[in-house]
Amino acid sequence: MAVAWIGNREVPLARAAKKAAELLVSSRCPVFSLDTDVHGTRAALALAARVGASCDYVNGEAAAREAAVIAASGGMFILPGEARRRADMIVFVGEIPESHRAYVEELAISVPDLATGGKRGLFLIGADRGAPKRLGGREVTLLSCEGTDLAGTLAAVRALCAGRKVTAEVTNIDGFKGALAEAGFPVFLFGGGEADGLTLEMLQGLVSDINRRKRASTLHLPASEKAWGAALTSTWTTGFPLRTGFSRGYPEHDPWRWNAGRMLDAGEADLHLWLSATGGEAPPAAAGASLIAVAKTARPAVGADVTIAVGDPGLDHDAVSYSVRTGTLAAVAARSSSQLPAAAVLRAIIAHLPEGAEAPC
Amino acid sequence: MLTRISGGEIVDPLNGRSGTGDLWIEDETIVEPPASRRPDATFDASGCIVMAGAIDIHSHIGGGNVNTARLLLPEHYAAHASRPAVTPLSSLGWTAFETGRLYARMGFTTVVEPAMSPGSALHTHLELADIPIIDKATLAILGNDDFLLSMIRDDASSSMIEDYVAWTVASTRALGVKVINAGAATAFKENVRTFSLDDVVPSYGVSSRRIVKTLQAAVAELGIPHPLHVHCNNLGAPGAAETAAATIAAAEGVPLHLAHLQFYGYGTEGSRKFSSAGARLAELVNATPEITIDIGQVMFGQTVTISSDVMRQFSARGGADPRKSVIIDGDGNGGGIVPYRYRKDFYGSVQWAVGLELFLLIDDPWRVFFTTDHPNGAPFTAYPRLFELLMRKEARREVAEGLPKRALSLTTLPAIEREYSFEEVAIMTRAAPAKLLGLADRGHLGAGALADIAVYRKQDDVARMFEAAALVFKNGELVVRDGEIEKYRWGRALRLNPSPDKAMVRRLEAYHQERYGLSLDWFTFPDWAIARENPFGEVPCRA
Ligand SMILES: [Zn+2]
Repeated sequence: MAVAWIGNREVPLARAAKKAAELLVSSRCPVFSLDTDVHGTRAALALAARVGASCDYVNGEAAAREAAVIAASGGMFILPGEARRRADMIVFVGEIPESHRAYVEELAISVPDLATGGKRGLFLIGADRGAPKRLGGREVTLLSCEGTDLAGTLAAVRALCAGRKVTAEVTNIDGFKGALAEAGFPVFLFGGGEADGLTLEMLQGLVSDINRRKRASTLHLPASEKAWGAALTSTWTTGFPLRTGFSRGYPEHDPWRWNAGRMLDAGEADLHLWLSATGGEAPPAAAGASLIAVAKTARPAVGADVTIAVGDPGLDHDAVSYSVRTGTLAAVAARSSSQLPAAAVLRAIIAHLPEGAEAPC
Repeated sequence: MLTRISGGEIVDPLNGRSGTGDLWIEDETIVEPPASRRPDATFDASGCIVMAGAIDIHSHIGGGNVNTARLLLPEHYAAHASRPAVTPLSSLGWTAFETGRLYARMGFTTVVEPAMSPGSALHTHLELADIPIIDKATLAILGNDDFLLSMIRDDASSSMIEDYVAWTVASTRALGVKVINAGAATAFKENVRTFSLDDVVPSYGVSSRRIVKTLQAAVAELGIPHPLHVHCNNLGAPGAAETAAATIAAAEGVPLHLAHLQFYGYGTEGSRKFSSAGARLAELVNATPEITIDIGQVMFGQTVTISSDVMRQFSARGGADPRKSVIIDGDGNGGGIVPYRYRKDFYGSVQWAVGLELFLLIDDPWRVFFTTDHPNGAPFTAYPRLFELLMRKEARREVAEGLPKRALSLTTLPAIEREYSFEEVAIMTRAAPAKLLGLADRGHLGAGALADIAVYRKQDDVARMFEAAALVFKNGELVVRDGEIEKYRWGRALRLNPSPDKAMVRRLEAYHQERYGLSLDWFTFPDWAIARENPFGEVPCRA
């Protein structure tokens, strides 16, 4: 099976790695976008540091928001295992992302076994449209507020819980307040997918209010497990989550400046290394930028100067990935070791860099 | 490869060696001077002190909570990156890589991360594996976990508890066991806000004392070399000295290690009801031979506190500077990240003095360990200045002059004349930690020891001397010369490997399936997950 191409021409892996290294070395301003496991991210950061590239997540908005809210205000968080065993009230903040559907349904139908005694109320704060009325066969009580968005609804809920008056009406607020007063440990589920920064800060404010007298916390369900795993990995490696660049020879974190999409649109970047272990449609080649695709693919990526095929972590090769089920990194053994890990490909590219290559931009 | 370090002043208390002489290394090991062979390399150490590589027994260098602190405080590293060496945050050792570099240049070759939550052991070990040059180790946290508390409540047999502790240590690749404010993280989840040694965890009816005693016994019975590492209740509270004294008394002849005792050395005297109990605690430690302690010295300036004592961190979050914090309710353990600035005000000055009183009034350097509880009392990069304070009373006097007199009058520090000798420093930072952790291969310079060696250029300025070693060897390789990294290499994480009881593994499998809906594999990991060759080094349990 072919694994590497230069343009549309099939080549041995080493040739493609060498070509990729040459493109990176001659690039004035390379940008990487990452969708891979922990070891793929480690290798990508090592390569980025060598060639002075910047790194972003693939579709990085949600992960960037999730990290930004921690840096802005911190917060109170619970791990998923403890939430499953202790939460006697679950509040979804915004719509539940499809990728976490199975986990959330399990949570809905399981019952807490620690301290609180065996039942679990379900609520959802958000707009009325498309919200599930039932989850795993259980009823979900909806809190919504006409004419406003998620942040507005949450602000109204917080104000009403604090005993302040608001003009807007929130559905089922009395039931919610009653349940909150009864609950031993309510847990609010959130992710950066639908919720914007303001919403996330508002949520932390609400939870902080509750903790003056009682306990409560929030459960972070990252919009993308791979992106959050990359955020954690980048943080111990560089000191920062992603949207971090090495153009000056040391890591600098700047969520606006190192936004890969923005850099390519604005013509700042002249090379895009797209690292997508889950594959999918290659990003459109940006004008004036070369494209290196390291992706799960059986054919050369459209418009790519170099394409190297890699496996999906945990499916095609053993991997370490973030899991929402444990809230930490887990080793995932693949059923068969059928395709190259991204980390191996990136190390092959690193091996073709000239000794001590300086950051070019 | 035969190497000679020639003409240095050798300080090797374990082997009773002191005075000018040569030290020989063959490959990774220190050897007797060979009769007739010539060295392949010679390093001139005249005018230098030669010691074993230093060992830090308690420094929060990696894992989920440390990483969350980085996420909370990107500005710390920003200060680091743009203006190296000048800002108060510039040497926090903020990344895994910098941690190894900065420790190595001070002559430290082994560092213990003391607070690994078993559920996130893989994350901790991945971070540790990215710390270059030095060897690492971890302590696994127990004592707030439902499985243990349930066993204690149900009067499980001591052998069953030992099986669980052994499984935890083995599966998390730990070098020992730590208990953090035993029971409090669990009590906090049921809205308990303060918790002391004889308080009882709701839903379990088990006291903090009983948790500590249970774990202390299990650790001793399993032959785990490092005694149970205890983070007591009531950290930081005025009057916490009472809790520490009660915990010392609870050792009852069996070894027990008390972490960062400085944070408990507080009485309630004076108009602010906050005073030093350093002298009293030092006396208690002196009189209780089964107790070892580390200090957790406070040094003035900006830092961030990182602790699994979630109850304490929650109550401290009002003092966050800058004003933000993270509080985590985890599986069993929790965590709290609260940035903090130690000021030369009344409270900061008492804290600073208490640590020094403990260092200087505890007589036996084999039982007192050199830590700042990095980064809780100060970042480890403050170590050179701390060595100076211990070795030069004049340096203490100079700092004290800038502090409120009222604060120091509530301590005994101004009257203390003691100065540590190189011999005592070598015991406290080399020989004693190796003994405490069961690392017979290091902490000394005898033939057969691992060639972890630090060579410091002797000078009046103690801080400069310890800040940048003249030479550092790790496993016989020259890794530092004149404070600069000569060679990067990857160390190992030192671990115990007791064989787990099969019945216990089955029990845990069933427990995780039932309670978390996940198989035990989700909570353990194979060595390949670390993605390095030989990531672990095995240390034997006592027979
Ligand atoms: Zn500590």
